[in-house]
Amino acid sequence: MSWQAVANKEFRDAIRSRWLHGSTLFFALFIGGAAALFFGVLLGPGARQVSNLFGFFANLGVFSFSFPGLLALVLGFIALSTSHGSITEERESGSIKLLLSLPNSRLDAVLGKLVGRSAVVVVALLVGFFVTFLTLLATGTRLELGSFVPHIALTALLGVAFVSIGLSLSALADSNREATLATMGLYLVFAVLWGSISEGIPKLLNYTAEQVGMGSLSEVLRVKIGVFLKYLNPLKTYETLAAQLYYPAEQARLVSTAFGEQAVLTPVLQESIPFYFSGWFLFLILLAWIVVPVAVGYWAFERADL
Amino acid sequence: MAAIELDGVTKRFEDVTAVSNLSLTVEEGEIFGFLGPNGAGKSTTINLLLDFVRPTSGTVTVLGNDAREESVAVRDRTGVLPEGFDVYDRLTGRAHVAFAIDSKEVDADPDAVLARVGLADAADRQAGGYSKGMRQRLALAMALVGEPDLLILDEPSSGLDPAGAKEMREIVLEEAERGTTVFFSSHILEQVEAVCDRVGILRAGELVAVDSIDGLRAASDADATLRVTVSERVDDGVLAAVRALAGVQTVERDGDDALRVACDSDAKTRVVTELEDRGVSVTDFTTEEASLEDLFLAYTERDEDANADGTGASDEETDEAEAHAAAEDTEVPR
Repeated sequence: MSWQAVANKEFRDAIRSRWLHGSTLFFALFIGGAAALFFGVLLGPGARQVSNLFGFFANLGVFSFSFPGLLALVLGFIALSTSHGSITEERESGSIKLLLSLPNSRLDAVLGKLVGRSAVVVVALLVGFFVTFLTLLATGTRLELGSFVPHIALTALLGVAFVSIGLSLSALADSNREATLATMGLYLVFAVLWGSISEGIPKLLNYTAEQVGMGSLSEVLRVKIGVFLKYLNPLKTYETLAAQLYYPAEQARLVSTAFGEQAVLTPVLQESIPFYFSGWFLFLILLAWIVVPVAVGYWAFERADL
Repeated sequence: MAAIELDGVTKRFEDVTAVSNLSLTVEEGEIFGFLGPNGAGKSTTINLLLDFVRPTSGTVTVLGNDAREESVAVRDRTGVLPEGFDVYDRLTGRAHVAFAIDSKEVDADPDAVLARVGLADAADRQAGGYSKGMRQRLALAMALVGEPDLLILDEPSSGLDPAGAKEMREIVLEEAERGTTVFFSSHILEQVEAVCDRVGILRAGELVAVDSIDGLRAASDADATLRVTVSERVDDGVLAAVRALAGVQTVERDGDDALRVACDSDAKTRVVTELEDRGVSVTDFTTEEASLEDLFLAYTERDEDANADGTGASDEETDEAEAHAAAEDTEVPR
């Protein structure tokens, strides 16, 4: 197993990329700047605690906004751009012939790339959080490390998930151009379209059930399906898990649901949280977003002629 | 044990057959030259050895391991200088060699390896700034890490200046001295001629000849081109008579005062005698032995429908004739 050699090479290579330097700077300015704005300017000394920014969720019913959600969007983009070319670029330049003429199996290559590129994204993230940490200290903000530290770890996992997604697209694509387009398309789905799709599917199921004479689905079932599908989106999985670090689980599950969904789900969740809405189940979904894409990517890459 | 064994290997891509029913054995310790024009399927064959591509049919065995199932074991003992590769622009020369050392899980000094290929001074520079020849040397350095049992070099001297090509040749010979099997491809005969024990000639995906350099030379020496200078234009009847002689393949006018006759070496006297018997005054004649180059060109430029049957072709008159005609085409400027 020489995946370590590949990971090492990937890390050394990617860490020198100017694109990554730019992304890291942007990320650091984004979260460090937000922290400086919130805790240095907007919030009075009494309200200076980490949860007021990193646990900031605003739900207007039809439109919800949260700082972790925004963080996820930015990080997802950085992670995808770090990994989506990792195989196609090597194929196009021919450097993959060096990589695979050495005794590295294709599994070594894929795992090494996952680990190496993830490490690069995590470094970028840690730089950002370090700048934030300094800002927090400078503004005398209460750190709430019990929530903040797990939040950083959770954010790192999200970064790895998006590295894995980008890597699999890179393995599946025939050219770098194709990988780039697919990545952009998928990002659009995650960031914009997923919500509408997951709201549409229960309606479609309901319509189908009515048409075949099985009667209509109960409102609770429809909402459950819709919200469950919503949380399959890694961005949303992350968002609701982040919320749980600052709020109780039943409240965290509702942070980005519409008012109608809240009205239906609140009593259900208050009674008991079904396992498929539980924190650990959502955590497994996030882990699946790391494992499944890279496995699919390996499956494709293993079969491909270079 | 054979170092490389290809048995009935065919590789078809979507719309083209790159390699067709190729069988070839390279013995351990041999320096084997793989010759053929660009696009003949040399790189595809090498890619099959390394599991970069998978055969449509047939089996590939390298160092006793199945090239598909046990590819890592193959590459563990093989040093490769691939064709059409590129370096990692942002990594230094030393980092490249370190990557090879880590991948092969051996203990080696990157700087010593780089010194061997003449890159000691450039070790700390990012390889993105290397010239084509330096990239080629760097890949060779990576190939040499861990004292491989087999060296596979695909067009090793492309991008190298003559001095660089000579150094490359010396390194190849040093490795062979150590007992390493060397398999290298080239479209340039001289490089192969200078170092190889045996050569295989590939044309349009098919192996058309496998022999030692001496064997190929013997095959080519059997034929000669005779240039006969005459005092006046020879008429068609005489040409036909010469063409009818045993051992003569072609006769052509070379201007008004000379003839070119492709024939077996022992037919030369008969040609001159026949001309004089028919009243042509021969003022001079020279023999041009067919070079290895001619033979190579003849093999690789032969018409599509000619049957490919190795160097044993000397008893097949038609093949030889075509081979010769092709050789002459390139030799005589018109």
